[in-house]
Amino acid sequence: MNAPALSAVIGQPVSRVDGPAKVTGTARYAAEFVPDGLAYASVVSATIPRGRIRALDTSAAEGMPGVLAVVSHRNAPKLPYLERDQRPPVDPKSGDQLRMFQDDKVLFNGQPVAVVIADSQQEADAAARCIGIAYDETEPTTTFDPGRGRPPSEETAKGGRPGAAGRGDGAAGLAEAATTVDVTYVQAREHHNAIEPHATIAQWDGDSLTLYDKSQWVQNVVVEIAHVFGIEAGKIRVISPFVGGAFGSALRTWPHVTIAAIAAKMTGRPVRVELSRRQLYHSVGFRPHTLQRVRLGAAPDGRLTAILQDAAAQVATYEEYAETTLQPAETTYSCPNVATAYRLVEMDTNSPCPMRGPGIVTGLYALEAAMDELAVALNVDPVALRLKNHADINEKTGLPWSSKALKACYETAAERFGWADRIAAPRSMRIGTDLVGYGMATAIYHADRAPAEAEVILFANGTAVVRTAASDMGPGTYTSITQIAADELGLPVEAIRFELGDSTLPMAPVHGGSITLVSVGSAVAEACAAVRQKLEALTGEGSIAERLRANGLDRLAASAKASPGEETKRYASSAFGAVFVEVRVDEGLGTLRVKRMTGAYDVGRVINPKIARSQCIGGMMGGLGMALMEAAEWDPRFGKVMNANLAEYLVPVCADTPALDVTFVPSEDTVLNPLGAKGLAEIAICGVAPAIANAVFHATGRRQRHIPIRPEDLIGT
Amino acid sequence: MRDSVRFIRQGRVVELKSFGPTETLLDHLRLTERACGTKEGCNEGDCGACTVAVGTHEDGKVVYRPVNACILFVGQLDGKEIVTVEDIAGSGGLHPVQQAMVDHHGSQCGFCTPGIVMSLFALYQDAGRATPPPRAVIDEWLSGNLCRCTGYRPIVEAARTALSAPPDDMFTRSAEATGGVLQFLADAEDVFVGTDQRFFAAPRSVEALAALYERHPDATLVAGATDVGLWITKQFRPVEKVIHLGRVDGLDRIEDVGPAVIIGATATYEAATDALAGIDPDIGAVVRRIGSRQVRASGTIGGNIANGSPIGDTPPMLIALGATLELVSAKANRAVPLEDFFIAYGRQDRQPGEFVAGVLVPKLKAGQVFRAYKISKRFDQDISAVMGAFLFTLADGVITEARIAFGGLAGTPKRAAAVEARLIGVAPGSAAAWSPAMEAFAEDFQPLTDMRASAHYRLETARALLGKALLETAGAPTTRTRVIGQREARQEGAHVGA
Repeated sequence: MNAPALSAVIGQPVSRVDGPAKVTGTARYAAEFVPDGLAYASVVSATIPRGRIRALDTSAAEGMPGVLAVVSHRNAPKLPYLERDQRPPVDPKSGDQLRMFQDDKVLFNGQPVAVVIADSQQEADAAARCIGIAYDETEPTTTFDPGRGRPPSEETAKGGRPGAAGRGDGAAGLAEAATTVDVTYVQAREHHNAIEPHATIAQWDGDSLTLYDKSQWVQNVVVEIAHVFGIEAGKIRVISPFVGGAFGSALRTWPHVTIAAIAAKMTGRPVRVELSRRQLYHSVGFRPHTLQRVRLGAAPDGRLTAILQDAAAQVATYEEYAETTLQPAETTYSCPNVATAYRLVEMDTNSPCPMRGPGIVTGLYALEAAMDELAVALNVDPVALRLKNHADINEKTGLPWSSKALKACYETAAERFGWADRIAAPRSMRIGTDLVGYGMATAIYHADRAPAEAEVILFANGTAVVRTAASDMGPGTYTSITQIAADELGLPVEAIRFELGDSTLPMAPVHGGSITLVSVGSAVAEACAAVRQKLEALTGEGSIAERLRANGLDRLAASAKASPGEETKRYASSAFGAVFVEVRVDEGLGTLRVKRMTGAYDVGRVINPKIARSQCIGGMMGGLGMALMEAAEWDPRFGKVMNANLAEYLVPVCADTPALDVTFVPSEDTVLNPLGAKGLAEIAICGVAPAIANAVFHATGRRQRHIPIRPEDLIGT
Repeated sequence: MRDSVRFIRQGRVVELKSFGPTETLLDHLRLTERACGTKEGCNEGDCGACTVAVGTHEDGKVVYRPVNACILFVGQLDGKEIVTVEDIAGSGGLHPVQQAMVDHHGSQCGFCTPGIVMSLFALYQDAGRATPPPRAVIDEWLSGNLCRCTGYRPIVEAARTALSAPPDDMFTRSAEATGGVLQFLADAEDVFVGTDQRFFAAPRSVEALAALYERHPDATLVAGATDVGLWITKQFRPVEKVIHLGRVDGLDRIEDVGPAVIIGATATYEAATDALAGIDPDIGAVVRRIGSRQVRASGTIGGNIANGSPIGDTPPMLIALGATLELVSAKANRAVPLEDFFIAYGRQDRQPGEFVAGVLVPKLKAGQVFRAYKISKRFDQDISAVMGAFLFTLADGVITEARIAFGGLAGTPKRAAAVEARLIGVAPGSAAAWSPAMEAFAEDFQPLTDMRASAHYRLETARALLGKALLETAGAPTTRTRVIGQREARQEGAHVGA
């Protein structure tokens, strides 16, 4: 057999292989499987922020048409909720997860307290409305009071979210600075709002359980549910071929998965639990409200002498979710003195969780906005200030970067954007009566890799199947991994079928943190190489199909595991980018519009430019929403999100999409992985919000130190 | 009397005799038909993942419109064709819209995709559209489809490609046959499905409607269901008796009667847009931003008035123009000035058994200038923070009469009587003379602070809008004042296909 042509498919703008299924409506999502006898559940949520259930009257609901069961703490099975040897990386390191129907306690408004199962969804919903619940309320904690902030626990600190970190002497660095800024920023609570609501169908067959679930990590769902129910992992199968967006909300195994399994157990029927849009706001996590103080010090030449960044983030009372918010302070710039302080503010709310660019995007917002304030204070160009403080190595770890083309990102993006046309003074650029503002920011997101396994099967008809338990929540894993296999096997993309989203497939890591392509892709490449080796050991020549047939084989399979190695101890890896934005502000009405955005990214080797560009555009629009629209409106009286719907929780619509220019600078990172890629998803939302906020200052001369920035912030002067 | 509803599905007539009065089209598709291509994203008409195309026969043609299946009752589909994402790929492969979505990477996670495909499918079928339509038209047709993955640009690119040629697919080729069936389905029967205690009814005439409503004054009148749909899917209100107005002959009339235009109660926003824009282009510009394309295809001007929302966008404009409401019951007809119809928050001047038949909207007279502005955080598909409408009558360069109404500043759409009084005799261009009127805002309005906007912002913006209206009346250029929401204005007329 001839060696496959080098990169015949990798790097090509292949259309997504799952495209036809998605545009014809045949792609099947979790809620759409229909096992025989499927029953439907309606979850009843608590309506107080803290207390106990005093009385729960289910009699009316139980007598309603079609109702099969009403389950609450009064009749639910006692579940073992076994402790896992090691918590998965997607779970908080400390505290206890929410247990379903195990006692009468209410820990937040919206907590599931009962579930109705009926023959139809309408009957379940109708009966759920007829459950009477009386509560004994206790005084809740529903305000974000940073004064109550406490450092994270030891377990959380060990997990890379310490209460204090840094290098050198932050205070001394600040004292020696010629110029300082000391500023405070607020990031609003944000919700993922993937268009697909979370849903699970549970089906028991004796003591075996099948779950159709919306998940970014099917194999972790298996382990989690095995521990919740105290059953063998081998008895559980999780299926999730398509995920309708998640952005981090489907990383964990949420309580509704357990509810589905309990409901199915108690009714002896397969049961579907589909959360309503409103329930999603208190069921599957969110980006936490975070208050940050940034102090920067610089020498007269612009060199940073100190970075001090403090963050206080909201957290649930029962579980300790913490973020890597302050990591950018340590890694983005060269600076001898860095000090960070992280605090958690407990509130009676559901637990936050990772949302696209978790932690980093929040910390980077404050850092990059403060860098802009420093540039103004120093009277230097914001790009020049960043170049002056370029981090040639990762100063947090002291390790060299495995690749870094950030300077090329600044240069390319500035050139394409026309940054040279910017008049530095705020309020100095106008078109008609609109104020015009140019702003920019750095993007950075660590590039990681995890062990993964894959199996490749060649068939005598000339096709191949690639299998691994990965997920594809939308970025294009189906397609990019198929391209990698096509190159490695020397087969056309059409001859390869990639199977994922089934826990019985070979091991794959969580589909999050932009690690899927490099982790799973490396395993697939190795499995392909292994099967090719087997093929070469066969007699005969010609195509794969011919050689299999010549040897009387209908198939030939090989598996491989690929893991990161020693390189992770010798190098730091990261994706980088630079984002430039133009805004127009009408101070008469307070209206603001983003006119255009330019992003240049260093993401290593680009496997599929069409998919990569779309990822970046989507991420930039996510950043636009973050900067100008997205915020949960919290009512402290009830400990509840008031705008828990898509009419009032605003996300960008088509008309909000400005001119968007995305470029990938030449880059390849063969240290991180043999493919040379660095992963691409989180990086695209990083830096966008501060670039917009900085542009707003440039336009108006007024700093808005909170996101989202709203019309009422901009009206008048 | 017919005891069933009938519609076309996949080339066949489906007859339903047994269905709940408020069963939604989405539940019918996903749970009854098990056709899960149409997605449920929010179940309240906000995200558009459930968009399907509904075909109707109008003026000898079959017209397709995108609608939100999640807040449309299945009974409302009587006499129509329902087209979903599963139905449009022919034997020769994907529909041009689907193919372009694949080619341009317009789909990532794929969950909003069916809705987007169907919005673009409906636009594709518009014989009058440009090839391709300008960006503004594509934005407008996608205003009700939320996507969290793609950032929309690849979808816009797909739309441009798919719409670069005139419509030519199996739907255009079978339009004549489809039209014939739709005409056959549009019989003269009153529809009544259910019992006297629980029913879906669709009377065919005003008289039949009045008689039925007199018998069941507790029934819920439904026109487009873009509001009532939410009572069901979000508020879980028990609605047992539904009277659908969509089949009532003549209730959707749009009639030019010389000095005024009559808009029938069931005329949709979409249908009424051109007639209203003919009175003043600003009305068209505002109506084009109400809800989304899907909402405007179903929602009605009459419903927007009858439900009495303090933030409805049409009432302030109609009040400023001096519109009169026509109310009908089995006993009597009466006309009420629209501003008197809104009594207080949630209360309107409507008697049991009485329904809105239409609204009479006077055209502008010589010497009159009209302006209307919608201010919201998001340009499309957002509830107004402030909605202001202004009618000035001028003589000899000064204002002799002012009619000004705002939404979002009070519990009802409300006139600014004190402001109006202080404008008499004012030359609109002399800003120095505005201050008494500007100060009078505090007499007329004590707005609330809520999550949509602060009281301060509302009042300041209302004043700024008055200033803009006066400046424009004095001859200042108008382009900038269409800069409302998140980005620049549309060319007037951009909402129509061309």
